[in-house]
Amino acid sequence: MDSFAANKRYAEDLAVTFPLLSDWHRKVVKDYGLLDEKSGYSRRATFVIDKDGKITHIEEGRSAIDPTGAYQACSVFEKKKAG
Amino acid sequence: MLRRASILVLFISVCAASVLAQQTTTTTQQPAAPKTHLQVGQAAPDFTLTDTAGKEVKLSDFKGKKNVVLAFYVLAFTGG
Repeated sequence: MDSFAANKRYAEDLAVTFPLLSDWHRKVVKDYGLLDEKSGYSRRATFVIDKDGKITHIEEGRSAIDPTGAYQACSVFEKKKAG
Repeated sequence: MLRRASILVLFISVCAASVLAQQTTTTTQQPAAPKTHLQVGQAAPDFTLTDTAGKEVKLSDFKGKKNVVLAFYVLAFTGG
């Protein structure tokens, strides 16, 4: 929901190396069931999605700030690759 | 090892100065928590959003190519 310009500045400040996307119209947070219509805010969340487009891990709320769960979910891909 | 994985992180900034400007109360608390209806094993809803370079990024473009970490980060540019 941040604007394109705000995201651009944010990405530059942090020197991010991954795509930083703007959900200005709140459509994606709605599709992912994260938008609280009353407040207009979304919840923090992390989804891990495999190559088939299937969700393999969901972390919601305050715990989504901690990337450990997503990291562990990603390590499953590595194991599959190695195995 | 993880570095070698074909994993892409799509960081979606979800919140906004505009939302803050619309707030009529002085609330700074976290919003009530709607639990997502999505579950592990389900297909991730497709979307097309614009990145900081102005390029459109579509989730389904990574299908069959890369695993994706999708991080929804509320109040990304507000210091919140």
